[in-house]
Amino acid sequence: MELSESVQKGLQLLADQSAVNHRSFQVLLDVSFRGLLSSRADPTVLDQPELKHMDRILLKQSHAALTTFILEAVKHNADKSTTSSCLEELTFSTDRIEIFFSAYQKHKNDIERLLSSMGRRPPHVNDVSWRLQYHMKNGQLDKINEPFYLISLNTENEGSSEDINFSCTTEQLQDLVSKLKDAAKSVEKASQM
Amino acid sequence: MLLVLSEDHKEHLSFLTKADGSVVEEFGRIALDFLRKGTNPKIYEGAARKLCVPVGMVQHGVEGLMFLMTESSKHMISEVDFMDSVLALGFGEELNQSLLQLYVQHKHQIRSILSQLLCNQPAYHNLEWRLDVQLASRSVRHQIVPMVTIRLLLTRSSDVGSTHSCMDLQTDPRSLLHMISTLEAALAAVKTSHARRILRNIK
Repeated sequence: MELSESVQKGLQLLADQSAVNHRSFQVLLDVSFRGLLSSRADPTVLDQPELKHMDRILLKQSHAALTTFILEAVKHNADKSTTSSCLEELTFSTDRIEIFFSAYQKHKNDIERLLSSMGRRPPHVNDVSWRLQYHMKNGQLDKINEPFYLISLNTENEGSSEDINFSCTTEQLQDLVSKLKDAAKSVEKASQM
Repeated sequence: MLLVLSEDHKEHLSFLTKADGSVVEEFGRIALDFLRKGTNPKIYEGAARKLCVPVGMVQHGVEGLMFLMTESSKHMISEVDFMDSVLALGFGEELNQSLLQLYVQHKHQIRSILSQLLCNQPAYHNLEWRLDVQLASRSVRHQIVPMVTIRLLLTRSSDVGSTHSCMDLQTDPRSLLHMISTLEAALAAVKTSHARRILRNIK
């Protein structure tokens, strides 16, 4: 894990027991994780009574450094020895390393999920609904008398959902299902490797 | 079921009673050609010059035949009913037979042309899939996220012919299994006694 100078400086501030007391450290740690996981940026995130006594600029620096460190650690899937040695180098006490790591472990999966969902991708199919109809006649033709399906794929892309609608005959639906089954089978096979 | 032909329609076709058998055959061929590819006014003009009759008369004759063919195909009338229907036009026996031949030979084709007219909803054409595993991204390394990438091909028919459209989609294994079980229920629905009873009785 490579950290920039400003991040290193911000973290060293946090390591300094005389600048940041035990309670403030814990609150700041908590606030940082919460900020990363909340869907909306909260501008009052640092307005905690436990952080009132700290210098605002130093507080912001260490908050930025801490969140960067968390993100980098999750990004590289850092384990205990990596985070420990990294924080040790930045003069963190064993006590604070332990506190950091337990919080990190608690939130790591959630942050990882959030990070892996970032970036562009095709619309994601979440659900499908169907309707069976019997096509009897229309303005141009009599005696058609064929059952057919209306299929609606419910997709989601970057938070907005959209339905893809199409019609298909029974044979076409069988074709569609058999292809999806092939896909499911190959997923299953791959998971057993 | 008999076709009820309007007076206008009869009048438009009356031109054919006076025409030669080969002319009627030619008109039939043109009418079917127009049903397949759309009308072409130049052909009316050419035929009118050859036969020394007004363009309108030729046009009415051909369009009358087109309408006769589409209406008969639309209702899928039987050969007997077709013959009984065209009797009202007062054509000779030979002409009636050649019209019947035209109808019998081409009714399925005409129905398939007609079936493309209305359904403007996209229809399923094909589905392609691919199994992917996301290994890393800019924001996080060391991932193992299996997903199925799907390309859905749909056709949409319109006046100018059918167009294909393709859509790239993605789904996770769990949603895939959910889709399969939901669509299997859809396939089972057409085999239920309820659906079968309806299908059997509405013919």
